[in-house]
Amino acid sequence: MSRQRPVAVTGAGCLCAAGPDLDACLATLFAGRRSPQPPQRFSTGHPVRYPVFEVPEEFFPDSVPADPELLRTARLAIAASAEALADAGWQPALLRELRVGVIVGTTVGSAMNNEDFYRDYRSGGRPGMAPIRRFLRGNPAAAVARYFDLSGPVQTVVNACSSGTDAVGIAAQWLRDGLCDLVLAGGADELCRTTCNGFTSLMITDSEPVRPFDRNRRGLNLGEGAGILVLESDELIGQRPGRSRASVVGYGGACDAHHLTAPHPDGAGLKRALREALAACGGSAADIAFVNAHGTGTPDNDRVESRTLAEVLPGVPFLSTKGFTGHTLGAAGGIEAALTLACLELGRIPASIGFAEADPELPATPVREMTTTPGRLALSQSLAFGGNNAVIVFEKGERS
Amino acid sequence: MTRLAIQGMGVLGGFGCGVVELQARLAGRAADPTELVVPVAGEELLLAAHQADTTSLERFLTKRQTRRIDHFSRMALLGAYLALEDAGALEAPRDRMGVVIATGYGPTRTTFSFLDSVLGDGDAFASPTHFSNSVHNAAAAHVAIQLQAAGPSLTVSQFEMSVASALLTARQWLAAGRVDSILFGAVDEVCAVLGYCWESYFPGSGGPIEPFALDRQTAVPGEGAAFFLLTREKEARYGHISKVDQGRVRKGSFSGGTWLLNADGHRACSASYPDLLTGSAAVAACTPHFGSLPVGQAFDLAVAALAVRDGRLPVISGPDDLPGDWRPAGGQALEEPVTCLKCDGDGRFGLIEVERS
Repeated sequence: MSRQRPVAVTGAGCLCAAGPDLDACLATLFAGRRSPQPPQRFSTGHPVRYPVFEVPEEFFPDSVPADPELLRTARLAIAASAEALADAGWQPALLRELRVGVIVGTTVGSAMNNEDFYRDYRSGGRPGMAPIRRFLRGNPAAAVARYFDLSGPVQTVVNACSSGTDAVGIAAQWLRDGLCDLVLAGGADELCRTTCNGFTSLMITDSEPVRPFDRNRRGLNLGEGAGILVLESDELIGQRPGRSRASVVGYGGACDAHHLTAPHPDGAGLKRALREALAACGGSAADIAFVNAHGTGTPDNDRVESRTLAEVLPGVPFLSTKGFTGHTLGAAGGIEAALTLACLELGRIPASIGFAEADPELPATPVREMTTTPGRLALSQSLAFGGNNAVIVFEKGERS
Repeated sequence: MTRLAIQGMGVLGGFGCGVVELQARLAGRAADPTELVVPVAGEELLLAAHQADTTSLERFLTKRQTRRIDHFSRMALLGAYLALEDAGALEAPRDRMGVVIATGYGPTRTTFSFLDSVLGDGDAFASPTHFSNSVHNAAAAHVAIQLQAAGPSLTVSQFEMSVASALLTARQWLAAGRVDSILFGAVDEVCAVLGYCWESYFPGSGGPIEPFALDRQTAVPGEGAAFFLLTREKEARYGHISKVDQGRVRKGSFSGGTWLLNADGHRACSASYPDLLTGSAAVAACTPHFGSLPVGQAFDLAVAALAVRDGRLPVISGPDDLPGDWRPAGGQALEEPVTCLKCDGDGRFGLIEVERS
C-alpha cells in the first residue's frame, strides 16, 4: 500500500444526543455529562426499558424543520451538513458552480421497514404510500444533494456500523482522483423501534448507561445523530488558504471474513485495516496522539479492540465517545470523525465515560481522565456487522 | 482513468442462470415472467415478475452451509461463485480481493420477516437471525465469509444509481492498489410488499416491458444478481470498463455512439433518456429479459461486456421507429465503446462505458 496524499477537511458538523452542534458536543464531552434514557418517540414491549441517546427536537436548527416527506435520518444528515458547510465558509449557492459529491453512511436510512405501514398491510389493510414515498425520498446522500442542489456523484454507504468511517475514507479517495471538487461525507442514522428490537434480540444492549471497556460492561446503548465533514480538493483549498481544520491522511479497511455478527477473535481484519491506514500516512504508534475507538461496550467488541490496540498501537491513549453519544450505527463513524478532529485541534481528549473498573482480560484500557494528547495524528476506527473494519487517520490542519 | 478488466461474470435472473443462459435468451425472445403472489386485503394478487432461482448454489455450497442464508444473499453468493467460475478463479487466493455490492432496496424479504417476528410474537421474540440478515451488507458479509475474501468490503444503496455509484469506488480501490481484484456485484429482490407497492403505484400495468414506449408505464418487476470479477490487467476476457460517471440529467449532454439504455418501462424515468441523449445514437435496451429493478444497469453491463467480446449487440425486438434520431444498435457491427446508461426518477443518471481490451 502506497502513501495517500493528504486531503483537507475544512468543516465539520455534528448533531447527536451530546449536543446540537460540534462545539456543544465537545463541551458535553469535557464536562463529562450524559443522560441516556428510555426512548421518548416510541416504546417497546421489553420488560427492561433500555436507555438510548435520543436527539431532542430542539437540537434541530430552525433551517431544517421537521418534514413529513423526509426521513428523520435525512433530516439529521442535512442539519449536520449545513453546520459543516457553514464551518467551512461555504454558501450553498456557491457550491452549484462546483462538482460536489455526497457520501453518507447509514443503516436505518436505507431500510424499508416502516412498522405501521407493514402492520396495516399484514393485517389485511391497504396502507397508503406515504411511508414508501418518504423512504424513497429519504436516501441520505440523495437527500443532502437534493437539499443543497448538488450535481456531483452520490453514494449511500451501508456498511453497517463502519459506514460513516468508510464514507470519509472514500470521500478522500474521490478527491485524490479528481472526481469532485468538494465532498460532504460522514454518517447519519435515526433511532427506530426496529433496530432497538433487533439489537435487543441479539442480547447486546445494556440496561444501564453504556460502559465501554469496563469490566462490568453488558452491551451498547443505541443512539442517533449525524456527523458530516467537508473535504476539498487540493485545487479548491489552494484558492482558500488557511481553511484546513485537518487532513485525512490515511484510510484502511478490511473484512474479517469470519462471522456475520461477531468480530474475529484475534482482530484479524482490524489489524489489517490499521496497518493499511498507518502505511497510507507513513505513521507509527509514536505519531498517534490518540485513538477514538469503536468501543461499543459489548463484551466481544471491546475485548477484540483492546487486544488489537495493545498490539498495534501500544501505549497510545484511547477513548470511546460512544459513552457520550450512544452507538449511532451508520452515523457513528461520521460523528466520531468530527469529534476526533475537534479533539486533535484541542490537543486533549476527555475521560472515557463509563469506564470505571479495568477488566483483567483487556490489556489496554481507555483514559480515565481528561488527557493532554500532543501529537500530529489521531485515529478513529469502526468495527461492524459483517466483519467490516475501517480506520481513518487525521493530521492537524492550519486552523489548529 | 484506470480501466477495469472484466475477467468473469456471474448472472442470474428471470432469464436463467449463468452467462450462457443469458446469452441464449438474448438471441431469442425474453422469458415470460412468472407470478409473484401478493396478498392484498385478504385476497391473492398474482403479479408478473422476473424471478431468480438459486438452486444452482448447491453446486458450490452444501445445504448446511446455506441453511441460515436468505434468498437475497443466496442470489449474491450464486452470482459471486458463477463469476469466479467463469473467470477460472475459483481456486485463486483471495486475501487481497475486495467485495463491492450495489443494491437498490437491500434484503426486503428478510426485513419484513423480521417485522413478522416482532408483530406476530411481540418485541421480546424478535428474531436475531432475521435481524442480522436484514442488514444491507449481509450479502457482502456472506460472500466474504464463504469465499474468504479478506480485502475491504463495501455495500452501496443508492436506488437506481447504486451500480454506477458503487463502481466509482470499486474502480478507485483497484487504481489505488488497495486490492488486486474486486468481486463487484449487484443484487435486488422482489417480495410481496414490493408487489403491493407496485400495484398501488402502477395499477393494471402488466407489461411486457416496451423500453422505447417512453410515455407509457410498461415496467415488470425483476430480481437477480449480476457479479463481475474485476482486475487492473491489460488483458480481459470480456473487455474493459473505461469510464464510470454519475450526475444530473441535463438536456443534450450526450450524442452519437452506441448506447445500452436501461429503459425499463418506468415512465417517470424514461423521459430522461431522450433528454440526455440527442442526435443519431445507436441504441438498444435489454430490460425485457431481466425486468425492472434498481440495479438493472448491472445486467446491461453484462450484456455490454458480451457485446464487445463478440462484436455485436443482440437484436432486440421492438418498434421500427425509435424516438428522435436514434437508430437500432442490435445486430450491427459494433461501434465501440458501448455505454450503459441508467436514469432515475429524480433527475440523475449513471453511466458505464465498456470497450474492447
